[in-house]
Amino acid sequence: MTEQHGDAPPDEYVEAEIQRLLAEDPAIAEQGITVVRLERGLVLYGEVESPHRREEILRRVAERFPDVPITSDIGVIRTQAPTQVEELP
Amino acid sequence: MIRIAAVGDVHMDEDVVGRFRPALDELPDCADALLLAGDLTRHGTESEARCVAREFGNLGVPVITVLGNHEHQCDEVPQLVKVLEDVGITVLEGTGMVLECAGGRLGVAGVKGFGGGFAGRCASDFGEPEMKSFVQTTKDSADALGRALRGLECDVLVALTHYSPVPDTLAGEPLEIYPFLGCYQLGQAIDSAPTALALHGHAHHGSERGTTPGGVRVRNVAHPVIKQAYSVFHLGDQLDRAQVSRI
Repeated sequence: MTEQHGDAPPDEYVEAEIQRLLAEDPAIAEQGITVVRLERGLVLYGEVESPHRREEILRRVAERFPDVPITSDIGVIRTQAPTQVEELP
Repeated sequence: MIRIAAVGDVHMDEDVVGRFRPALDELPDCADALLLAGDLTRHGTESEARCVAREFGNLGVPVITVLGNHEHQCDEVPQLVKVLEDVGITVLEGTGMVLECAGGRLGVAGVKGFGGGFAGRCASDFGEPEMKSFVQTTKDSADALGRALRGLECDVLVALTHYSPVPDTLAGEPLEIYPFLGCYQLGQAIDSAPTALALHGHAHHGSERGTTPGGVRVRNVAHPVIKQAYSVFHLGDQLDRAQVSRI
């Protein structure tokens, strides 16, 4: 069963389905997001290339699993020029 | 000395265009070439390739890339490659090229690579046709990289892949998925030539530094790992010293 019932914590199958959704949903296509199962709900963490993608991940996961409490800790990767060089002798 | 800038896994689409450009505009001052380690796009579409072309084309330094697994998602590889080549980006797949830089000749050989796993924990060419096909893809890719590396005549030789040639730079990823992130055969290919540096991406939760069993330095330049627009490496310091001694 992948549906959530009452206060039951999300199970491994839900975790697996969300992980696959993140990669396989064309609106997401992210393989670098980690799903962590907690007693009450799931935490998504990782980094993406734009704020739009972060919002889209939450929207799509909530749409597919409306009964699973989801917390997001997804950041947007910085794109500043490097301040240091690695010398490789 | 040769200066190499590198990044991978930039996953371009319309929503990302322009984010890298301010840092990329500084490239001619700090690098002789930019190497891209694959996963340039989200789904490998022609329209996403045009975003890559806008962001990484016409930078004032040569740009060389390999493709990543994301570039294969929509089966538009030939169209995507053409879009990149039309703006002067060189796409390597079992091939190599030599750039004449102020500090010497930079040779770059590249291949996407594939998974398969690492010594003692890898897939074998045995059993079902699907598994044999998987491992054959791994072997073919590594063989092509080895041939390309050994075929280049240059002062500094760099290997460019999407998948990782060593487990070192996967540290941070779950151990269970290592076989999907790289294979030891790529490391073996890199060690079969006088390679100075190996660059790869793909492992977003991995770490920056590693070494092949043969002592070649490996760097994971996936954007989520380096957390900046690109990294810069200085190589071939001995070339400058040789120049001095000749004088």
